[in-house]
Amino acid sequence: MTLDKLQAQCDRVPFFRFLGFEITDVDDDCIHARMEQSARHVGNPVLKAYHGGITASFMEAIASTAVSHNWEILRPKPINLTVDYLRPALAGTLFVRADISKKGRRMSSIETVAWQKDPAKPVAKGLFHFLLV
Amino acid sequence: MVKKQTKNENSSKLLARAAEVWNERALGFITEMNLQIERSALDGVQLRMPYNPEFCVDEEGTMLHGGILTALLDSAFGLANFLAVEDLESMATIDLRVEYLGPAQSRADILVFTECYRQTQHVAFNSGRIWFDTNGQPEVARAMGTFSVTRGTNSLLDKLNTMGPGQ
Repeated sequence: MTLDKLQAQCDRVPFFRFLGFEITDVDDDCIHARMEQSARHVGNPVLKAYHGGITASFMEAIASTAVSHNWEILRPKPINLTVDYLRPALAGTLFVRADISKKGRRMSSIETVAWQKDPAKPVAKGLFHFLLV
Repeated sequence: MVKKQTKNENSSKLLARAAEVWNERALGFITEMNLQIERSALDGVQLRMPYNPEFCVDEEGTMLHGGILTALLDSAFGLANFLAVEDLESMATIDLRVEYLGPAQSRADILVFTECYRQTQHVAFNSGRIWFDTNGQPEVARAMGTFSVTRGTNSLLDKLNTMGPGQ
C-alpha cells in the first residue's frame, strides 16, 4: 500500500481523526508518523504534557497500521500491550515509529517508540500483540 | 465552627469531594472523556464514560478503539492513587499493561474500576478492569499500572481538608 492510501485508510477511523496524526514514512517492516499537539491531547495542564493514554493510543494506532499494511487486515485485533513511560511528553510534536518484530501466522508482535526532539531520548516505548486470524 | 463529624463520615465525604475536584479541575483529554465518578474510596474508584462515536474505529460507531480503554485506565489509576496514596504530591506512570479480553463492541456506557492495591514509599501498584454497562456484558479489558509517587507536605487532599464549605 502506498503512503497516501494508508493515510486515507487511517482517516476513515474516527478515533484516528481524533488523534490527528500523519503517516510520514512506510516500508515493509516499519512505519513512521507524527502528531501535532492539540488542547484535547493534554493530560497535565500545568506542564501542557500529553495524557499518557494519548501517547499510548498514538503508539497503538501506528502499531495497528503496521499490521494493517503488512497483512491487509482492515482492523487488526489487539491482544495486549505494555507501555513503558520514560520521560514526560511535553508540548510540541510527538513522533512514533512502529517496527514489526514478529511475523507469525496467527499473531504479530510490534515494537513502538515515541519521541519528541531527539530520537535518542524516547518519551515512551510500547509492545503490542495482535491476532491475525 | 464546623460541626464535628465522625471520622468515617468525614473521610468518605472528603474522598467524594476530592474525587469531584480532581474531575472538575481536569482539562484537555480528561474533559473529552466526560467522566462521571460513581465510587470514590480508598480501596477503589469507579468511573463511567459515556459512549462517544469519536472514540470508535468504524464510521458506524459500533466499536471502541483499544487506545481509549488504555487512556481511561490511566486516568482511573490516577484518581485511585490520588485518593489512596497518603501525602501524595505528584505521580508519574512507570508502565501500563493492558489485556484486551474481547472486542469493545457496544454503544453502552463504559465502566471502569481501579484500585491502588499496594503502596510503598515510592511506588503505587494498581489494577483495573473495564466493562460495558449492559446486562451480561463480559469484561473487555484488564490492566495493571505501576506509578512512581512523590510524597510531601503539599498534598492536595490536605488542602481540601482545611477548606471550609463553599470555598
